[in-house]
Amino acid sequence: MTPPAVRKALPGLSEVERRVAVSPDELPLRDLSDEQFLARYNTDRFTASVLASRMRYIVKHMSTVMLTTAFSMTLRDWHDFAATISGPRDMNYPMSTGSDSLTIFMFTMPEGIRNTIEEFGPENLRPGDVVIANDPYRIGLHVNDVSFIRPVFYRGKVISFISMRAHQLDMGGAVAGGFSGAKKSVYENGLVISPTLLYRDDKPVAATFNLIFDNARYGALLLPDIKSLYQSLLLGERLLLESLEKYGIDAYLGAIRYSCDVSADAMSEAIRTKIPDGVYDAEDGVDADGVDDSLEYKLKLKLIKYGDNIEVDLSGTSAQARSSINCGPLDVKGAVGIALKMLIEQKGPLTSGCFRNVDIVMPPGTFCTATPPDGAIFMYWESSLTIMIAIYKALSKALGERAIGGDFGSLMLHNANGRRKDGTRWLTAATCGGEHGPWGATKAGDGDSYTVNHFNNNLDPATEAIEADVPVLMMRKEYVADTGGPGTNRGGAAVCRETLWLADGDHLASPFHAKQASGVGANGGRDGTTQAVWMFPPEVFNAMEQGAFLPKAKDFYAASVPIGGVLDAAAKTLDPSHGEYVYWSSHNIWHLKSWTSLRFQTGGGGGWGDPLKRDPERVKRDVRDEYITIDGAYRDYGVVVMGDPINDPENLQIDMIATAKRRAAMESAAQGAER
Amino acid sequence: MTKKTSVLAPGLVQERSPVTEQQLIDAGVDLAKDFPGSSVDDFRQYPVLAEGGWYIVIKHQRTLQTVSRVPWRLLGPISLLSENLMLD
Repeated sequence: MTPPAVRKALPGLSEVERRVAVSPDELPLRDLSDEQFLARYNTDRFTASVLASRMRYIVKHMSTVMLTTAFSMTLRDWHDFAATISGPRDMNYPMSTGSDSLTIFMFTMPEGIRNTIEEFGPENLRPGDVVIANDPYRIGLHVNDVSFIRPVFYRGKVISFISMRAHQLDMGGAVAGGFSGAKKSVYENGLVISPTLLYRDDKPVAATFNLIFDNARYGALLLPDIKSLYQSLLLGERLLLESLEKYGIDAYLGAIRYSCDVSADAMSEAIRTKIPDGVYDAEDGVDADGVDDSLEYKLKLKLIKYGDNIEVDLSGTSAQARSSINCGPLDVKGAVGIALKMLIEQKGPLTSGCFRNVDIVMPPGTFCTATPPDGAIFMYWESSLTIMIAIYKALSKALGERAIGGDFGSLMLHNANGRRKDGTRWLTAATCGGEHGPWGATKAGDGDSYTVNHFNNNLDPATEAIEADVPVLMMRKEYVADTGGPGTNRGGAAVCRETLWLADGDHLASPFHAKQASGVGANGGRDGTTQAVWMFPPEVFNAMEQGAFLPKAKDFYAASVPIGGVLDAAAKTLDPSHGEYVYWSSHNIWHLKSWTSLRFQTGGGGGWGDPLKRDPERVKRDVRDEYITIDGAYRDYGVVVMGDPINDPENLQIDMIATAKRRAAMESAAQGAER
Repeated sequence: MTKKTSVLAPGLVQERSPVTEQQLIDAGVDLAKDFPGSSVDDFRQYPVLAEGGWYIVIKHQRTLQTVSRVPWRLLGPISLLSENLMLD
């Protein structure tokens, strides 16, 4: 294997001089003549781009197989998988193509495939193999996210790897479904699978299936899911081989390199042109681990940019947590990649080439770079999320108008399990908590208020599907007023998701980022609100007996049992400035009786731009639509709205004179504070 | 609810080692020509995760110019529990 070429040291040259000085092999794609292109890629531009598109078509079709044939909700309705194509070993396994799904998966997969195949031994591969692995330390993510890798042979040689990384409902371990931040070592975490054959000569390897099914719960759903994954790989292989027959091996391998170079060029140019040279620092963190609330975990991030290179250094970051809230180095890489894609380069394809000009420096043994056996990794996205937020914060001023508000970030994931009356097990994961919420605002407009976070790009299962799957009624999916970060463009509103449980069950909730907002403001916009979770036992309110929805009134929260958040001690309502921290793992598991309600409120999206510059008409419309209240309009935007937004929403009025006075007073106060 | 004050878990640092003139020469660096005004003290060696996996790099710290990039261990700094198994 050969490392990428070391970039020439070319200090003091202008951009034009630099381009003249570099060799043809270093020229950006757009500067290549047709002859140079042919020499580099062994094919012409047109064929290379056709093959690149063809590879994207292949992973889309592989994904469609999963969405139409998988049995578990997490694959069928949540899209908790990603498909990729990587090149061969002698090209160092470049990942040329990723599917339209979990972004956090895809940036771990180039290393994941390389590490899996190198350990398995490339010389041991045969046509008809499927190799699997799931170890977070080897391939990133968590043990439930199993990597299924198909080596594609052409004329006796491995020319590619087609891969699916897909969440399995269970991989054994101490907690059904696995989702817990309280597991204290790899021994509690679940089954670790080192690179292993699942299929040989297209026949199942019984020993591997036995290993999984003797350890994992919910085998009745796991087995058809795995069969779907296998079929998806077969389809990908067939389509790829068709392309090879049509265009030839040289053009195909050239197109793999071309696809990665497109991403590398796009990211390189974005780095060079959109971020001024400099050193940018920021911090973020996780509130507590699953042992107790005595320790907070701080991320320290330094982003250094010079020319077209970036270095991200996590030195100073807190040591690894005592339980499974950690993530690993490949997850860090994923988070850095997503942050840069979101902030500076949205057009290029997502390939391993995105990192050609990005180096990540990480001390081992932090809560973002955990090591075995004590640095258990499961809720990895909550730790790697802090990296994305920190990069948003670090680059906010430098990017100015191009900065974007943070999204709701932390999934505040809920999972629960129990037994039905007939004794069969039920399980829900990531469908009834805070897994969907708002985005931040951008220069283009307000943030959407119900979507997936920047990490995931997954789907939100239909309410009907959730209610058919588990004993629950989805009572509310509503926006919460005055929660989106105020700004010229407003952050999306926090989402209140409320469920009523029809059977006893064991529940877990994971509000790990309640002490500070995930939805950070940008370009003068303000942060969104923070997250929280409440429980309402049937003694407090029994929706079925009362025949009514759980009240939303603020004075009703005092009767709740808070599960997580920073709340007013008496009223138990959100109070991030003066409230008390409610530790998310005060109970390892919440044993809930039937007719208990859970209410999750996500964080709000970050605002963009000065809120005092928001057009008063837009503020009035927000009051009409209940994104903000009349009080919020006055407090956050300086707009005096009159009328009754609930009973007469179309006849709201703005008092323009009072608004001008209020805004002038607010501007004056802000200037005074700056001085 | 709790009023208990939590403390920060201690921070860890990735060291950047000084390099020698010989290392720069081996990397093909002509200081006077390639980095006028810089000295060997302006370079550091450390591991990075990047496109292609883990590398040990030597970089000019002010400009981030990489003068040496050598593939490192497959998993970088992570040691697996199974790593030291002696099966033969």
